Amino acid sequence: MTNHKDGLTGWDGLTGCDDEKLIDRFFGEAGRQEIADEGFSERVMARIAQQDVAAGARSALLCRLWTWFCLLVGAVLFMVLNGWAQLVLSARVLLSAVLTQIEVVITTAPTTEILLTPAMVVLIAVFLLVVLPYQTARKLCAVL
Amino acid sequence: MTDLSDIALVSQVAVFHNKRAFDQLVRKYQSPVRRFFLNQTLGNAPLSDDLAQETFIKAYTSIGSFRGLSSFSTWLFRIAYNVHYDYRRRQKCAEVDLEQAGAAETTASSSAHTPALRMDLYHALSLLKDEERTCITLQLTDGYPIDRISDITGMPQNTVKSHLRRGKEKLADYLKRNGYDR
Repeated sequence: MTNHKDGLTGWDGLTGCDDEKLIDRFFGEAGRQEIADEGFSERVMARIAQQDVAAGARSALLCRLWTWFCLLVGAVLFMVLNGWAQLVLSARVLLSAVLTQIEVVITTAPTTEILLTPAMVVLIAVFLLVVLPYQTARKLCAVL
Repeated sequence: MTDLSDIALVSQVAVFHNKRAFDQLVRKYQSPVRRFFLNQTLGNAPLSDDLAQETFIKAYTSIGSFRGLSSFSTWLFRIAYNVHYDYRRRQKCAEVDLEQAGAAETTASSSAHTPALRMDLYHALSLLKDEERTCITLQLTDGYPIDRISDITGMPQNTVKSHLRRGKEKLADYLKRNGYDR
């Protein structure tokens, strides 16, 4: 910091040098003492931490509200655009495609070099029909 | 060197949200900021600490707006000045003289352990107007030159000079009347 005497312009002209010295001495003795911390910094940092926690909770709430809003918009669009019929149609197409592929693999397996046992077919079916939907549902629940 | 280390600490806080760096800044500046508020509130220690805490929290939350055009201490004191200004305005809006009387009592009680010289200092400062007191303490206890006092308070330099002149006249008169010139 700069010496305060740099800023005494405007004062010297009206009052004497003795007054200036008098005030300077008085403030030197009484006004310039250091204040001990005595836990002040810890209190400030604790309040900042509290504020951060509150801000974190607020943003989590906003995030949750935004998720529900998006879900609501999705549900409305699903209803308006006749989403259920589209979904059933897509599922049927997908299922028939998968079944066709399995049928092709099974019927051609003995003539090709692909080693496909009935146990493997069951495993693939379990993965497609149980594990995959279960994992998807689990992820969706975690997000919501 | 001090400014450089301040800027390094500030950038740590602003970019990485490094609380340890801010803790260092609080430890470094707690004494001048609390002393500033003690002088403005005429020795009311609990109130000074509350206002100083508010100042540091505001500094933390708005540290991203520090552009480094002035030194960190000037920026911090500007926040402190605004905090005190808002506090004074709230007090005036409330218009509760009873509360002021209560505050005066708190001042007296908190000053019970204050040395006589500091009591005289607060008494002398109580004779000044708020703006005069701010300018006087920033210059005489914190050592700021007029241009930086002007930056902190937002007053034109000539206004700061006028407040300093009038304040010092009142102080000199008080000190003479109380035998400090002998």
